[in-house]
Amino acid sequence: MHFAGLDIGSTMTKVVLMDTTDRVLSAIKGPTGPEHRQLANEVMRMALEQANLQLDDISYIVATGYGRLNVPFADDQITELSCHARGVSSLFPNVRTAIDIGGQDAKCMKIEKGKLVDFAMNDKCAAGTGRFLEVTAATLGIRLEDMGNTSLKATKKIPISNLCTIFAQQEVVTLLSRGEKLEDIIAGLHDALASRVAALMRRLKVEPDVVLTGGVAKNIGMVKAMKENLGCELLVPEEPLLTGATGAAILAKEIYIKASAEGETISTKPRRLKKATFFS
Amino acid sequence: MTWFMGIDIGSVYSKGVIIVDSELAAYHVIPSGANYQTAAETIRQELLRQLNLSQNDIADTVATGTGATNVTFASRQVSDIVCTARGINNVFPQARTAIEVAGQSTKAIRINEQGMVTNFTISEKCAAGSGRFIEVIANVLRINLKDFGPLSLKSRQPVTFGTGCAVFGESEAITRVAEGVPKEDIAAGVNKALASKISSLVKKIKLEEPCAICGGGALNTGLIKTVEQETNIKLLVPPQPQIITALGAAVIARTPKPNM
Repeated sequence: MHFAGLDIGSTMTKVVLMDTTDRVLSAIKGPTGPEHRQLANEVMRMALEQANLQLDDISYIVATGYGRLNVPFADDQITELSCHARGVSSLFPNVRTAIDIGGQDAKCMKIEKGKLVDFAMNDKCAAGTGRFLEVTAATLGIRLEDMGNTSLKATKKIPISNLCTIFAQQEVVTLLSRGEKLEDIIAGLHDALASRVAALMRRLKVEPDVVLTGGVAKNIGMVKAMKENLGCELLVPEEPLLTGATGAAILAKEIYIKASAEGETISTKPRRLKKATFFS
Repeated sequence: MTWFMGIDIGSVYSKGVIIVDSELAAYHVIPSGANYQTAAETIRQELLRQLNLSQNDIADTVATGTGATNVTFASRQVSDIVCTARGINNVFPQARTAIEVAGQSTKAIRINEQGMVTNFTISEKCAAGSGRFIEVIANVLRINLKDFGPLSLKSRQPVTFGTGCAVFGESEAITRVAEGVPKEDIAAGVNKALASKISSLVKKIKLEEPCAICGGGALNTGLIKTVEQETNIKLLVPPQPQIITALGAAVIARTPKPNM
């Protein structure tokens, strides 16, 4: 039996295919695309191809994330908080605090014995999310994926006084024109974002093990800044973008197996890779 | 005749006025650009040119705003809160509250009979709480700032913005445009979002009527109407809302110094 988890984020769509032993058969990350959520079928097709499977081979499919309600072939939708918590605890059984920093929000989760017990979230202000770095990277003319390594060359952190992304954009231009070094500005930006996220996390009690996920976790400079701001060690999965989809796939398996064990018939959607029709 | 000059170097626009007695004689507004000193000098030259005066005719100059220290020809700098209050008091002596919607912040100020500040509050450093939000969305809609107000007034179904963030608001506006939502509904939605932030800011200092609104944001007629709806009061709007703080600076320049 095979199971699928789809995580439709604001920026990236992620698919994980698993078997009953939680072995990952394929994992694909693709863009969500400008036409919101319409590429889910495309990313799913790539994942099936990689695992050499057909859609009919998948017993149960769970969708999560911002665009989860619009995946025509998903059998169930589960919130990203539950899926992240499940995915993170499967990778790090001792996790008690997890923080996911995505392109559109930041979620802090308290986890006990693999279950989500509390959470705090920012989806209201771009300055506390990955978007802050996306926007300021564009202003600085540097690729997002180069920010981390560049920041490691910094000899100082330039304090960014503006908490607002739009005003910070203006501020970095002023800093550049004043002759400040790119790496020092980026180190300052990382510190600004990290201190915002740490403040969000402190609304809950930060207890080890602490795990960082989401696209921002791929930025080595941000991992460093988060450690400094939290004053503790951080665990980062090898694939920090895939924890939501991984959790979704595991939950798909658990739902399916539980239903089968109880002799319930489980309803599934037609196994057709249809394009989502968001605008119709 | 004795002339006094007030210069207000803001984050987005620079404003200057010359007054004679209590009367506005000339004013000028330009984008601040990258060099505040140049902006201040350009305004000074233009004001003097309009009235055919030379620098020697100006008895005193007061500078205010973010870039006040760059106004090298001013005799002193005064805080923008004080200048806004004095400017409003000059135009509307009866006003007890002033709301200033500027390019980088919004301020709510309580004013006494003498035009002195008795209390004030400034918005957080957040683009969605300032005129900047309007600029960002006007850019998405590809409309001129001066057309924003009239356009928004045509709306019958303002869109609701999901967050209080200008960055997310920008993405939302792009999505709405792609969905074919009329521009006026998006413009009206932004005015509504900003008006609700302004209304909660004003509540912090307990709005006392009459209340005036000024700053570049007050050029947006749609925003004024929406703020009136949100706060449930009628607002006094000066004919030139953008130059009120500069006017206040000029009035202060005229006031004998020991009183300041």
